[in-house]
Amino acid sequence: MLLGIDVGGTFTDAVLIGRGTIIAQAKRRTTHEAVLQGILEALDEVLQEQEVYNIERVVISSTIVTNALTEGRTDPVFLAVMTGPGMNVSKSFPVEPYYVSGYVDHRGKITARIDWQKHQGLLSKAKNKMAAVSGKFSVRNPENEYALAGELKDCGYEKIFLGSELSGELNFVRRTNSAYFAAAVYKTFKNFCRQVQDSLKERNITAPVHVLKADGGTLPLDIALKQPVETIFTGPAASVLGIEALGAPQVKSISLDVGGTTTDIAFWENGLPLLARHGVKVAGYPTAVRSFHMRSVGIGGDSRIRRTETGFEVGPERIGPAMAVGGCEPTLSDALIVAGRVGFGDKAAAHKGMQQLCLMGETAAEVAMQVVEAAVSVIEATINEMLHEWSIQPVYTVNDVIKGTEFEPELLVGVGGGAAGLIMALGERMGLPVEIPAGATVANAVGAALARPTLAASLRADTTEGYYLIPESGQRERLPSGFSMKMAEELLAAWLHEQAKAWQLPGQEAEVISKEFFRTIHGYYDSGEIISLRMQLKPGILQTVIGREVAF
Amino acid sequence: MKSKLGLIFFPAFDWMISPTHPERQERLLYTRDQLLEEGLFDLPQIREYRPRLAEINDLQRAHIGVPSIARLITPAHLTSAGGCLAAADAVMSGEVKRAFALVRPPGHHAMRVVHGIRGFCTVNIEAVMVEYLRSVYGIKKIAVVDTDVHHGDGSQDIFYHDPDTLYISFHQDGRTLYPGTGFPDEAGSPAAWGTNINLPLLPGTGDEGLHRLYDGLIQHILDDFEPELIINSAGQDNHFSDPLASMAVTAQGYAKLADKLQADIAVLEGGYSVEAALPYVNTGIILAMADMDYSKVVEPDQSDLRQQDERCNKRVDQLIAETGELWRSRFSTRKELLAKCGNSWSRKKSIYYDEEGIREEQIETAHYCRQCSGYLTIRTAAAGTRFGDQSAFIISLKRDTCSECRQTAYDEAQLEKRNGKWQYVLVQHIADGEIESL
Repeated sequence: MLLGIDVGGTFTDAVLIGRGTIIAQAKRRTTHEAVLQGILEALDEVLQEQEVYNIERVVISSTIVTNALTEGRTDPVFLAVMTGPGMNVSKSFPVEPYYVSGYVDHRGKITARIDWQKHQGLLSKAKNKMAAVSGKFSVRNPENEYALAGELKDCGYEKIFLGSELSGELNFVRRTNSAYFAAAVYKTFKNFCRQVQDSLKERNITAPVHVLKADGGTLPLDIALKQPVETIFTGPAASVLGIEALGAPQVKSISLDVGGTTTDIAFWENGLPLLARHGVKVAGYPTAVRSFHMRSVGIGGDSRIRRTETGFEVGPERIGPAMAVGGCEPTLSDALIVAGRVGFGDKAAAHKGMQQLCLMGETAAEVAMQVVEAAVSVIEATINEMLHEWSIQPVYTVNDVIKGTEFEPELLVGVGGGAAGLIMALGERMGLPVEIPAGATVANAVGAALARPTLAASLRADTTEGYYLIPESGQRERLPSGFSMKMAEELLAAWLHEQAKAWQLPGQEAEVISKEFFRTIHGYYDSGEIISLRMQLKPGILQTVIGREVAF
Repeated sequence: MKSKLGLIFFPAFDWMISPTHPERQERLLYTRDQLLEEGLFDLPQIREYRPRLAEINDLQRAHIGVPSIARLITPAHLTSAGGCLAAADAVMSGEVKRAFALVRPPGHHAMRVVHGIRGFCTVNIEAVMVEYLRSVYGIKKIAVVDTDVHHGDGSQDIFYHDPDTLYISFHQDGRTLYPGTGFPDEAGSPAAWGTNINLPLLPGTGDEGLHRLYDGLIQHILDDFEPELIINSAGQDNHFSDPLASMAVTAQGYAKLADKLQADIAVLEGGYSVEAALPYVNTGIILAMADMDYSKVVEPDQSDLRQQDERCNKRVDQLIAETGELWRSRFSTRKELLAKCGNSWSRKKSIYYDEEGIREEQIETAHYCRQCSGYLTIRTAAAGTRFGDQSAFIISLKRDTCSECRQTAYDEAQLEKRNGKWQYVLVQHIADGEIESL
């Protein structure tokens, strides 16, 4: 059995899944002051009649890191950067960084080592417990970062996060912010992990405990401690995984999870949700934390309707419930009912709600249709922005330009309570067929329960320099002779599998995310080759579940 | 917030002239890495655009290919030209204040008539963009400032008769570097005298000499000309580390220049120090164009940087004096030259295509008219092209060529056609980029 727990803004859900069906489920109010309390209540209810030794894995999608950051419950961090020449980064990070000399160039050559003399006085005493260290091009050569981290350790810092260990990809500003936020939330997250472990032990649950990450993958608790900021914004990720669990669309599609307050929009290709091109922004600062290519738009079943000079405005404010189910103000759901788009609740009450919005000479049906149109056009505009965002991803080859990288959706997939009616209307407007999977009301907890562990890593080999580097591990070795792309793939896959084993993850297939091969020339002669490779363990979900109405 | 700079980054990782050629896949690899690592694409001040494929007619507003431009190019040329058109659209639509087309292949050695590749160029992407800005957006007065170390002889060739395009090129003296042209007396044909400004610098000139020249001359000429748009042919091979040239400009020198110039659109040209210069020069230009602090963009290794010789400044001062005078007297000189030449003015050109070993002989004649800007006739014969030896008689009709001139031009073309001396008789319609074959 797989146990999934999702801590949402309002409710904390737990589900137990076995043999492709949902065995048990529970819903409790989220306890914001003590998140763990709500988790345990939901957990205890779902396990009431179950044998705990049957549990194979527990996955928690929590708001612990998100809340720590939004509520400012973070630790002060000493941020040391080695920028070398380039952009002025004084406004790029949440705190003013301490600048350390030392530079690595784009080929991974150390052009300046750290001048310890210069920094003696300032580095000598730890100002606080947590530190983050980041150098430009440290993913090409982490030596300066290691040296600086070693020095800080000697100064008495308790925990030091390194940019190169948090992301193997180029983008110094994002890696630095990731390292900073990781350090800032580390203690809160560590505390939470310890409490979870203790509580599960009390309940005799010995199965491995994972947390969900923003990219829809999971990691064991102790490993997640190395990158705590990755566990931010997992709610939307869980919702996407929930759709995947119901049987993901195979053609290029757009999924819309219509809730009470918001609609979550994601893009799909080859049965997988697309990952965003860039990392997420945390507190307004770009980070290297990957997530799905998603947007949340403030349109949901309980959205408030307002008359404007030109028509209607729907959301983003939530007032619900709808009048059809006993509310006292008309919502989008009421409009959908009167427009004949959905059929639940008290039709007469919904009708009455629409009449409240009518001007002289208008009928309730006319107004309902206008309201639905207004809601649909907001969603459509968001989709168009997402399509544009996707289409301007970089093109590096003529072939890319000719082929195009536009995302051309062929299908809309609607899930969530009010999905059917709203998405049908959207489909008509966009000229796309609509699919509403059976049992479309799947909770995020299901997605969390079924998420696979994810693990990605990069390898860069520069034959002129004569070494290869896996920045995520710091592994830097001399190149064997006759090095080729094929050898690079074997090396990196081997490292991923080794890492998976060490972390007790299931042995998944490794796949190539991207690769580049360049011949380097010096003075008109071949001087070597540059191979860049990025691979991951295949992401996704462990199994699909049979769709079934889950009335939480 | 409206972004300051539209950036079109297209490194053409699948295009090369040959595997060890300076124009090879690797050229913008380290620049890509530097821009990504700096996080420049994340800045709200910078908005990224994709290049598009230019259409053949876009190219044919600036070029007449023999036998046709379509048979001389690869899709890469349509993409780098299309990158410039995307830059033009971004600025003209008002989405961004300025734009930088950081694209390859480059273009400033490609002339009006094209028989093949010369100086790594087949399509003059700035000229294509200038003609696009005129046809689509009705822009008239445009200044092109060419900061490549090589004389942009292709751009000079195309803009030579056009008094509305001010072409300014500073470069390493042609007696010491390809293509061997670009002297101050090549100042434009009589009707456009003074709008082609060549400023040959001594080898070894660095930031000091360059900015002395800019402050003392180029800025004044630009102010006088009052262009609606400024375009920068942003070659980067004046850099001290460039393997093909001998100048001493740094990334700071280039960035400061971009800051002073405030070009509306910049287009990458040459620059072949792919590791030591391009990553830093491009970062500097991008930051300067985005109105950001570029003062920290310094090459990590400046050990090859030499102080400039004092003769360099002397040459600069001489250029400021002589070219300043040429500029101030341009209107009176035009009058004299036009009075001397009568209804037409011809020049004879011997053009060498270094990439393919083509030798072209060309006679170009500008025909003048009181009612319109007249037209051009071109007689060209090229030996050793990939299509063998070839020849063409061409008339080039401007946007405003009057019906009388058109008739005269067509009559001449028909006559040339009948005498059977030419393989091709072609008519270029600059307004829409149509090439008519007679």
